[in-house]
Amino acid sequence: MTRHRMLATAAALMLAVPLAAAAQEPYPSRPITMVAPFPPGGVADLTARPVAAALERVLKSPVGVVNKTGAAGAVGMQFVAASKPDGYTLLLALSSISIIPEADKIFGRPPAFTVDQFAPIALISADPTILVVRAESPWRTARDFIEDARKRPGQISYSSSGIYGTLHMAMELLSHAAGIKLRHIPTPGAGPALTAILGGHVDALASGPAVILPHLKSGKLRALAGWGDRRVAALPDVPTFKELGYPDAEFYIWAGLFAPKGTPETVLAQLREATRAAVADADFKAAMDKLETPIAFKQGDEFQKFFEADARRLAAGVRTVGRVEEKK
Amino acid sequence: MLETLGNLALGFSVALSPPILLYAFVGCVVGTLVGVLPGVGPLAGISLLLPATFGLDATRAIVMLAGIYYGAMYGGSTTSILMRIPGEAASVMTCIDGYAMARKGRGGAALAIAAVGSYIAGTVSVIGLMFLAPPLAAFALRFGPPEYLALLLLGLLVLAYMSSGSMLKSMAMAAFGLLLGMVGIDQMSGYFRFAYGVVELGDGLGVVPVAVGLFGVAEILATAGQAAPPAVIKPRLRELLPSRLEWRQSSAPIARGTVLGFLVGILPGSAHVISSFVSYAVEKRLSRRPEEFGHGAVAGVAGPESANNSATSGAMVPMLALGVPSGPIPAVMLAAMMVHGVSPGPLLIQQQPALFWGFIASMYVGNVVLLILNLPLVGLFVNILRVPYPFLYPAILVFSILGVYAVNGSVVDVWIMVVMGVLGWLLRKLDFETAPIVLGVVLAPMIELSLRQSLAMSDGHYGIFVQRPIAAVLLAVGLTLVLMNLYTFARRGLDWRARMAMAERGEDSS
Repeated sequence: MTRHRMLATAAALMLAVPLAAAAQEPYPSRPITMVAPFPPGGVADLTARPVAAALERVLKSPVGVVNKTGAAGAVGMQFVAASKPDGYTLLLALSSISIIPEADKIFGRPPAFTVDQFAPIALISADPTILVVRAESPWRTARDFIEDARKRPGQISYSSSGIYGTLHMAMELLSHAAGIKLRHIPTPGAGPALTAILGGHVDALASGPAVILPHLKSGKLRALAGWGDRRVAALPDVPTFKELGYPDAEFYIWAGLFAPKGTPETVLAQLREATRAAVADADFKAAMDKLETPIAFKQGDEFQKFFEADARRLAAGVRTVGRVEEKK
Repeated sequence: MLETLGNLALGFSVALSPPILLYAFVGCVVGTLVGVLPGVGPLAGISLLLPATFGLDATRAIVMLAGIYYGAMYGGSTTSILMRIPGEAASVMTCIDGYAMARKGRGGAALAIAAVGSYIAGTVSVIGLMFLAPPLAAFALRFGPPEYLALLLLGLLVLAYMSSGSMLKSMAMAAFGLLLGMVGIDQMSGYFRFAYGVVELGDGLGVVPVAVGLFGVAEILATAGQAAPPAVIKPRLRELLPSRLEWRQSSAPIARGTVLGFLVGILPGSAHVISSFVSYAVEKRLSRRPEEFGHGAVAGVAGPESANNSATSGAMVPMLALGVPSGPIPAVMLAAMMVHGVSPGPLLIQQQPALFWGFIASMYVGNVVLLILNLPLVGLFVNILRVPYPFLYPAILVFSILGVYAVNGSVVDVWIMVVMGVLGWLLRKLDFETAPIVLGVVLAPMIELSLRQSLAMSDGHYGIFVQRPIAAVLLAVGLTLVLMNLYTFARRGLDWRARMAMAERGEDSS
């Protein structure tokens, strides 16, 4: 054997060993990181924790939640989009994953990430937003509200979790569907947005059901209608905008699990199966119950279809809102 | 009243049960630690520990998280006083006079005053929380964007009392801080400002990296640049306790800081940070010897340290009475309650009396625990000063980097800290004060947002600021203060003949 040959063989062996290992290594063989792109205590974080715990029990491998926050979620989403597609870095994203790239587009800036950099695994929950007003306001029904808004365009105000945020988009979809114009007061988050309506500084708010339930019970707020395709279980008397004749006013604050695009199909299939088992887990169900967030599991084509339809609606919504200066 | 006392008895029976007591203790210890570590503040501490509480029952979880919150306010003063490194953002003001005291060998006294002040503020403000929560929370809700803007503008006036040197220089630094506060996504339009394609800059420059850089890193660089290292301070035991004079000088500031911190704490925003700035300014304004501020004034430690503790109880008012967060920390605590199926809000007291009153009682207990924990630790912490600088400072630098990184898991934040450190060092060489920069960074985003929210509410009419009574009153107070200062300023600038003429005229008329 010549020296050359020996080197070549050694090199080949060295190359082959990790390759072979990768091919045979069962997934998962090391801890999985689940990125929640929002701070602890937010919807994404509170959903990610029980999902991670349940996945851990199914996959028999540690699943850790990491909060990578900043820029309305863009920092964490960009991080996952750019990470190695090996199934060890997952993303628990909210509806805003479809909004951020569209907003980047209308500002003409290079997008932090695009939606097609992700492979959807499963939808975990999807809560429609609910339109609430203060209890002492004159509007008893959604019709009252919309008619009044038609008479006084730009006079009725609402707070949101931030421009192009979920609560803003929900209201804009309604405005567009009903042909009304409302006045938008952005705040730094869902909490301040709620404070603004409770303090009487704005007239209306679109909010996730769990956040407003205590205030509906105490009689401070009144729910007028919901953005879902059916009524919310906890609010059986609140109609949907669809029932009221505004089918385009459909919006959900949803939470879904994603992997970076390019993750091997076998790993994705395994993750989908594991997530299906995880959402059926009793502890997981109890955790989501306490958050008053119903589980809405969808996977594969079903999730893909939901995700695409939702992204289309939101993209159209963002384009309708446009850039702020263009309105003047 | 009698009913409240009965409820409190129920609360204490909960709070003093061994498991709850244990979790309150753990919370206090963890809080002190996150307060002591530079950079890591209560928000990071609570956020990191929130997942660990998911397995506990609701009362234990909330008691522990609250312990971390007010415990951090006790711990935050330690590194500020001993090393001029803010343990958390609300301790920036303590760096100035606390460190000056430590250099004079009164570090132990400063630590003890901070601990006792925190204890008094913590305990008294819980009484306020217990009796005044519902009406105060209703009042806090009336603070919308216009009221908030008026209050923040009043906060900017604080600047006038912050500097011990040139007014012009401190104004320049505040303006620079306000400019730094402009970095990030424009909340009203979604534009990225001064982010240069760095997504992490979308949320702006964090207060923590800026404060740790400007104070801590700059201090380390400045010390390293000296020809001979500063003498190591060897504290003696009998110097640990404050003298009678120091107690006397701190009693009124503690009382004022307590009331002020509680009131500021109720309002939305980074209340505990602002409360310490305001308290410092108030103390300097009321002091008979304002020239001592910046050179080891006891009131400059006692006031702000009491205020930031009292503000933690204030921040719980809207959270407990209404179920709305007054800032990021109460928001995380609200989430913790929701995780346990407790719906926070106006019905909490009726639905979960054991939790509510147990929580209140645990805050009394927690403050006692913290005092017992912190006073003996003074002796221990002060000994850090015995460590020679070549060993101490690299270690602090490592902890600062770790702490700043841990807040968001962001390397960008570490770079911000480094850049701010170099900048702070340079500014110190040029005799500029850096505290106004931190004030600017804290206030700028809030001032801008509340101004633009107000104008969005009024469709662009500035009348909204005078039509709303609270806003109008606050603005009038601010205007009066400015005019009063301008008057003294103008008088001082007058020629001696003109001044004499004025005095004569005054005599004539009398």
